[in-house]
Amino acid sequence: MIDTLKTFGSLAWRNLWRNSRRTFITLIVVSVGLWSILFFNSFMIAWTQASKQATLSVLIGSGQIHAPGYMDDPSIDRLMQPPDAALTKALNAPDITAWATRLQLPGVVVSEYKTLPITIVGVDPALERKVSSIPGKVVKGRYLKDVSDDGIILGLNLAKRLKTGLGRRVILMSQNVEGKLAEQSFDVVGLFDADKNTEDFYAFTGRTAEQAFVGLKNQIAEIVIVTPDTVNVDTTVKNLQAAAPKLDVKSWRKLSLFLAASDTFMQGFIYVWLGVVFALMAIGIVNTQLMTVFERTQEFGLLRALGMKSRLVLLLVAMESAVMIGVGVLLGIVMAAATIWWLSSGVDLSAFAAALEMFQGGQVLYLKYQPQAFIQFSILIWLLGIIVALWPARRAAKSNPVDAMRRLT
Amino acid sequence: MQPIVSCRGLTKTYGKGALSVQALREVDLEILPGDFATLAGPSGSGKTTLLNMIGALDKPTTGEVAIDGQALQSLNATALSDLRLHKIGFVFQSLNLIPVLSAQENIEFVLELQGRPSKERAERAREALKNVGLEGMEHRRPAALSGGQQQRVAVARALISNPAIVLADEPTANLDSKTALELISLMYRLNQENGTTFVIGTHDPRVMEHTKRHIELLDGKIANDTRR
Ligand SMILES: Nc1ncnc2c1ncn2[C@@H]1O[C@H](COP(=O)(O)OP(=O)(O)O)[C@@H](O)[C@H]1O
Ligand SMILES: [Mg+2]
Repeated sequence: MIDTLKTFGSLAWRNLWRNSRRTFITLIVVSVGLWSILFFNSFMIAWTQASKQATLSVLIGSGQIHAPGYMDDPSIDRLMQPPDAALTKALNAPDITAWATRLQLPGVVVSEYKTLPITIVGVDPALERKVSSIPGKVVKGRYLKDVSDDGIILGLNLAKRLKTGLGRRVILMSQNVEGKLAEQSFDVVGLFDADKNTEDFYAFTGRTAEQAFVGLKNQIAEIVIVTPDTVNVDTTVKNLQAAAPKLDVKSWRKLSLFLAASDTFMQGFIYVWLGVVFALMAIGIVNTQLMTVFERTQEFGLLRALGMKSRLVLLLVAMESAVMIGVGVLLGIVMAAATIWWLSSGVDLSAFAAALEMFQGGQVLYLKYQPQAFIQFSILIWLLGIIVALWPARRAAKSNPVDAMRRLT
Repeated sequence: MQPIVSCRGLTKTYGKGALSVQALREVDLEILPGDFATLAGPSGSGKTTLLNMIGALDKPTTGEVAIDGQALQSLNATALSDLRLHKIGFVFQSLNLIPVLSAQENIEFVLELQGRPSKERAERAREALKNVGLEGMEHRRPAALSGGQQQRVAVARALISNPAIVLADEPTANLDSKTALELISLMYRLNQENGTTFVIGTHDPRVMEHTKRHIELLDGKIANDTRR
C-alpha cells in the first residue's frame, strides 16, 4: 500500500507537467486564492487592531472599574473610593501596563454665546498620559500640569461651537455633593484634536480641582486600565474583580458594544471572503480537472483494462489533484508570507484615513504573521480543493476499458 | 485438456431496436493451452468484440465465457479486475503505454498492482525487457521509443505476470512490414519457448503466415477454424 502510494505520488507529480498550461492555471487560481485569504486575514487583523487600539486609547482603555450602578447612571451619587491596598496590588500586576483614576461627572459648559452639555473629566495628568491618547492630541496651548491643575482642556470643535478659545474663560456647572448646583469659571488652557464625538462631549481638568469644585473629598468615578495585546483581558478582569468584589469590573468588549460587534464582524468577514475565493477556486479546479480527465479517457480505460480497480483509479486522480492543489497552496503561502514580510514595516494609510475619518491616529498598519491562520486556512483550502476534485476523479474511475481497445476500428 | 477459454453461444448486440448491430452471433470457441491463434476477418466482422468478451472487458448479450474454468458472468467488477490483472495480458493497437512512465516503469506498474515487492519488480521488468530485445531502453519514456519498440514493451508487460492468455488486438496495424514481422516473430518465439497462449486479432496477411491456428470471423460468426 505504501509502495502504491509512492508510485501514485510520482505518477501524479509527472502528470502535473503534461499539460503545463492547465496546471499553471490551477496553480494560479489556488495560490492567488489562498494568498488573498492569508493576506486579507492579516490585513484585517492589523486594521481592526489599529482602529480598535485608536478608539480604546482615547478614553476607554482595555477595561474599567466603577461603583455598581455607575454605568447606568453616571452621577455624583454613584462614586467609589480610590483603590484600597488589595485592589492597588492587583492593579500593579505585571499584565497591566498602566492604570489611572478619573472623576467623570455630567455637567454643562457655558460661554458668552452658548450652553452645551458635556462630561467633565477630572484626571491625574501624569497617569493619564499612560492610558489615554488625549494628552498627546493637544494642538493648542498645553495639557494639564498636575492633579490639582484647575485649567480646562476643550475639544477643538466644542471650542468652536462655544465661540471661545485659548486664554478665555468658560463656566462649568454640575451637581455638587449636596445636590445643589455648583458653578465655577475655568481658564481654557489647551485645545485637543480628536474625533468629533470626543471633542464635543469631554472636557478635562485636574482631578482634585474637580473634586473641590463639586465638594468631594477623594471619591472617584472610575479606574481605567491598559493591558498589552498579548494579554487576555478577560483574565485580567477576573483577577481585578476578585481583588475588589464589591466593584464593577468590565472589559472593553462590555464597554464598547460597537467595537466588540465590529471585531466579530471582521472575523466573520474573512469567512465570507473564504467562501467567495473557494467558490472561484472550485470552478477553476473542476473545469481544468474535468478537461484533463476527458482528454485522458483512453489512458484510464487502459489502466482499467490492465486490471486496475476503479477505486484505485479514483485514488490516482485524487492524488494528482492533491499534489497539484498542494503545490498551489505552498505557492500561496510563500506569496502571502512575502507580502506580509514586505508590509510588516508598516502600510501608510494616511491618504485613505483623511477620507475615511475612521482611523484615529492609527494611520499606519503593521501586518503580522498569523501562523495559526496560515496553517488553518492552508489545510482548509487544500482539503476543500481535494473534495471538489473528487468529482472529476469519479469520472475517470468510471472510464470504460472497452474505450481503450475500440479506438481506431 | 481443459481449455483456457471457452465460449458457448456467445452473442453481442450493440444498441437497441432498428439501430441495433449484432456484432456476434452464436459463437462457440475453445482456446487450448499453448494455442497461437489468429482471429481474422474483414473490418467490422466482430474481432474486437470477441476479444473484449474473452478479455473480460465487456459482457456478452447472451452466452457464456469461461477463462481457466472460471465462468465470467458469476464475477463482480472487482473480481473481473483481478482476473484481468492476473490471468490476461493485453496488447492493443496503439497507446498501450502510460506516457509519463519509462519502459521499465510501465511493466513494473502491473507488478505493483499485483503487490509485488519493489526489488522483485525491477528485476523482473528488466529481465522482461531483455527478453523482448530492449536491453538498454529501460529508462526511455514511450515518446522516446519507436512504434515497434513500444509494442515490444506492451508484449513484455502482457507477459510479465505469466498470464493464462495474451490477447492482442491489431498489434501490428501501426507498424511497417519489417517491424510487424519482428513483433509477430517475437510473440511466436515466446509461445514456442514458454508455451504462452496467444490470440491475435488481425486482418494483416503478414501476421496470418505465422500462425498455428487460424480462426476466420465473418459477420459475427466463425466461418473457418483450422490448425496448421
Ligand atoms: N460500441 C459499439 N456500438 C455500436 N456498434 C458497435 C460498437 N462496437 C462495435 N460495433 C459494431 O459491431 C460490429 C463489430 O465491430 P468490431 O468488433 O469492432 O469488428 P472488428 O474488430 O472485426 O473490426 C461492427 O459493425 C461495429 O460497427
Ligand atoms: Mg477491431
